[in-house]
This record gives sequence, C-alpha cells and structure tokens, in this order.
Amino acid sequence: MGSQKRIAKELAELVESPPEGIVVKLADESNLYTWNVYMDGPEKSPYQNGKFLLNLSLPTEYPFKPPTVSFKTKIYHPNVTNDDKGSMCLGMLRADEWKPSSKILAVLQFARQLLAEPMPDDAVEGRIAEQFKNDHSRYEEVAKEWTRKYATL
Amino acid sequence: MTSITLDESLAMEANCDRDEVVDLRSLELVSSYDDHLMCPICHCPFVRPVRLQCDHVFCQKCLNTAITAFSPSPFSPGRDDFTCPTCRTPTRGVYLNVPRLLLNMCDDIKVRCPFRGEGCEEIIPRGHIQSHVDKYCGYRLMKCPDSSCNKKTRKKDLSSEGRCLHELQRCLRCDEYVAEQDYEEHVKDLCPSLKTTCPDCQINVLRKSLREHIDSCPEVVHPCAASKYGCPVKVKRADLTTHEQTCPLIAMGPYFEAQNARLDSLELTIRHLQQRNEIFEDGISNIRSTLAQSTRTLAEQDSPTNSDAPRRRDSTSNQSQIDSSNLYTATTTNYLLSLHESLREEVGQLSNAITDLDARASMALMNECLRLKEDMAHTNAAVGSIRMQVQWLLNPRLHQGQRAGARPTNANGSSNPASASGPSSAAGPSTAFLRPRRLSDSGREGTKL
Repeated sequence: MGSQKRIAKELAELVESPPEGIVVKLADESNLYTWNVYMDGPEKSPYQNGKFLLNLSLPTEYPFKPPTVSFKTKIYHPNVTNDDKGSMCLGMLRADEWKPSSKILAVLQFARQLLAEPMPDDAVEGRIAEQFKNDHSRYEEVAKEWTRKYATL
Repeated sequence: MTSITLDESLAMEANCDRDEVVDLRSLELVSSYDDHLMCPICHCPFVRPVRLQCDHVFCQKCLNTAITAFSPSPFSPGRDDFTCPTCRTPTRGVYLNVPRLLLNMCDDIKVRCPFRGEGCEEIIPRGHIQSHVDKYCGYRLMKCPDSSCNKKTRKKDLSSEGRCLHELQRCLRCDEYVAEQDYEEHVKDLCPSLKTTCPDCQINVLRKSLREHIDSCPEVVHPCAASKYGCPVKVKRADLTTHEQTCPLIAMGPYFEAQNARLDSLELTIRHLQQRNEIFEDGISNIRSTLAQSTRTLAEQDSPTNSDAPRRRDSTSNQSQIDSSNLYTATTTNYLLSLHESLREEVGQLSNAITDLDARASMALMNECLRLKEDMAHTNAAVGSIRMQVQWLLNPRLHQGQRAGARPTNANGSSNPASASGPSSAAGPSTAFLRPRRLSDSGREGTKL
C-alpha cells in the first residue's frame, strides 16, 4: 500500500510542524484514512475565536484520488453546506482538479483561507452567499453568533 | 532521447521488483535532502526516477501506479490521454534517462540500516544500502538453517555447521530458559542474578533488586517534596530531611494545598455557571424571537376577539418548558395593552362621529327653520295681498250696503246689528275686515230671504 506510507509521512510532518491555527489528529489510531482537524477561526474574520472540527477522509487510492473535507462543527459560511454533513466546496478537491502532487497541508491551508475569505461566487449555500454580497453586516452578525454558539469549547 | 510507451513502462516495473531486497521508501533518512528530490506522488526521494515529456520526474513505480489508477473517460478508452500528474500535460512516452546528477543526489542521502532494530548501527548512503544489506550487514535476519524451525536468526549468529540456535537452554544462575543464540548475552549482561553496582552509592547489588535499592538508596538525588510549588532544591536522600525542616515552601505546603482545592472547586462552579448562562442566553433569545413574532401577529389583527387568546396560547404551548411561563405572561400583558389601545381608539372614533353628527343635525335644523321662516313670510305676504284684494272687492259692496241700509233702517228690524256695529268698524283694520264679511253674509242671507 503505497498510499499508507505517504499518508503517514504527511501526517508526521503536520504533527511535527503544524501550520498556523491547525491541529491534526487521527480520528482512530488504527485508521490512517480518517483525520480530525481542529481549525482555529482566522483572525479578523467572523469566525475568530472559534474552534472548528473538520473531518478529512482520504480514499485508499490517495494520492491519485482527492481527499474530502467536511465540517463537523456547524458553521455559517457560503461554501459549507448547512446540514449534518457540512461538506465543503473546495475547487482543488474536485476529481478533475486534483493532482497527486497536491499535499494535505495545502488542502487544509486552503480551507482555512476560505474561512478568512469566502468565495460567494462558488457557493453551495446560495442564500448565505446572497447575504454575504448584499447584506454583509448581517452575514457577519449571524456568522459570529453561530461561532459563539457552536464553535466555542 | 529514447522514450518507451506507458505500457512498456508498466511491464518493466514487474521485472525490476524482484531483485529488490530493501524497500528504499521505508528507510529512515538521517540526512536532510532537497525538496526537489522528493517524488510528488510518494513524497520520498526518487527511487529509480523516470521523466515525462514535460520534464516532470517521478519514481517509476509511482508513475506506473498513476497510470494504472488513471481512469480514462468512457469516450476514449485506453491510456492515450494520460496526463502528467503534476502539470496535466497529455503524455504518452516515458523517458528513462534522467540526469545523472539527480540519481547521484538521491543515492547520496544518508540512511540507517533497516536492521537497526536487530542492532546494526550503520549509517550509509542510500545508493549502497542494497549491497550493505545483501553482503555486509551481520544483523540481517536469515532463515534458521534447521528446516523444521521457522524462526529467524541474525546473519552473524549463523554457525558454520548450520545448527538451529533456537533450542532453549537453562541459565545456571537464574533458572530461566533462554534460546541458545541469546545465551551468551544473557549470561554476560542480562541475567538478574548478576551483581551490579548502584550508580550512586557504588554498592554492589543484585540486578534484580537494583530497582528496590534505588528507591531507598541514601545517595540518590531526590527533589524536595515541595518541588511542585517551586522549590528548586535537589539533594541526596540522606540530606533531604534536614532540608525539608528548613524549606519555607514545605511549611507553606498545606496552605497551597488548600488554595489548590479552592481553585479547583471555583473552576468547577464557574464551569457550571457558564453552562447555566449559556442555557439562559439561549432561552432569552428564544423568548425574544417569539415575542417579536407575536407582536407582529397582534399588530396585524385590528380588533382582537376572544378567540385570539386561546390561539395564542396554542402557539406558546409549543415552546420549551423554561420560557413558556415567561412567554405567556408577556403575551397576555401585551394582549391586554393592545386591547386597551384599540378600545381607546374606538372610543375616540365614536366621539368624533358623534360631534360630526351633532354638527350636521343642527345645520340641517337651522336650514329647515330658515326655509320655514321664509315660507311663513311668503304666506304672510300672500295673506296680506288676499286681504287687500278682498277689501278691494268688498269696498263697493259696503258702499252699496250703506246706501241700501240708509233706506230700510226704520222699516226692517233685522238691520239692527248692522247699524249697531257701525261705530265699531272704526276700531281697527282687522275687526273692520271681519265685520263687513258678516255684514255681507247677513246681507246675502238677507237677499236670499
């Protein structure tokens, strides 16, 4: 299994020198393919001070197939579905966009960047995207409220 | 610049796999290496790198996995549109000739012998690891020469006679059974019955009792009992009691303990309070939203009737237990207030209407009065003119009567009233008007008679 070695290597790198605001752990010590990612809300965003739990699941064909990222913590964001799945829409995670040379580190950093700067034109929650564009202060208010409600430990 | 097709590359791989003793990717790297030497697929330094048309380099094995995993679209079967895993340039040929420099740099990376766990401490360039393991490493695990034994033996322990070294032998001192290949080491170093010296007090003790000895050895350096409160002192166990008698932090110990306990309980209380606070905040926001909703519905209803109250109660009964009572009182007050407000409004409207009606009625009354007055004036005028006409008509008759009356005054007694009224005709015009008519009547009767 070539995938396991690479995953273990990337995991070791992420644990050893974690990127800013991101902590990675295995959801289950015996399974390399499901990760728990604890992400701090970026500063100067409505998600500031929030701690978000993300689930990163890697296919056995990794790195030839892209991983999937989903929010376990409820979040008010145009690019995250507002259901129990919390699936995140990341361009680089689409099957035809994914490259085997992309790293999980890049995926996580991209996800965090998306918290700081949502992309309403590429949204999965059209209503939130609409609000983000037209009634920005109200969007920030709700996002802050949700962060306070769901993303504080 | 010779290239082979993707399928040829796949076939090559199968041949190469056989003569590999060591998996180069699982080696422990000692020296750091440049990131550019890392295969983007397996994230290890390149192993037998190959190159694509676009000059991107991968391990041959990784590239082959990528080719196998590449799922072509249903419209173009085959591997014809395989794209580079890094830049997605369509590619068909694989070049085996990567720069020698690249190979050398990858081969120069220092790695540990994979049999480190068996005791080999060698660190060698990766390019030599295959031959090291193959020929020189004494710790490589080999099959036991005895075909009935399925254990493994280190290469250096293999005896020339080809004997199995896994038979258990009994240690003469400690009565343990040890495999023959480990016997020598056991007797020399590991046997618990061997004497060893305590590293602190230099007393010889048995290996198996060394642990107990260290727990009580007076020479072992031991931290002060108040070290968790910050006492930096570490002294030998023998001197520890004298230190502890003078250590100020030891004296403070019970106080610190009590403080810690208090802090813990306070933290616990704070956590409880935080939880309660959260619950309350949630409840308040719930109440606020339902309140806003109910005031909106109330505003929509112009005249709330009795049937509204139970309806509102129905809607509130859906709310959670916590806020239902609060909510209910809030809505009833609200309801009463709005009822009061609407009643006041109605009363105002009524009084307005009444004053309006009043004004209209008095207006109409006055109009009517004016009209009646006018009518009366008209009638008066008409009556006046009729009187004038009647007088004018009567005048000649009166004259005639006076002339005729003068003649029969003495002869006819019936003319007496007429002569008796004669002087009174001068009293006023109205009586003057009435009298001639009577006169005329009596005159007409008189003529008829």
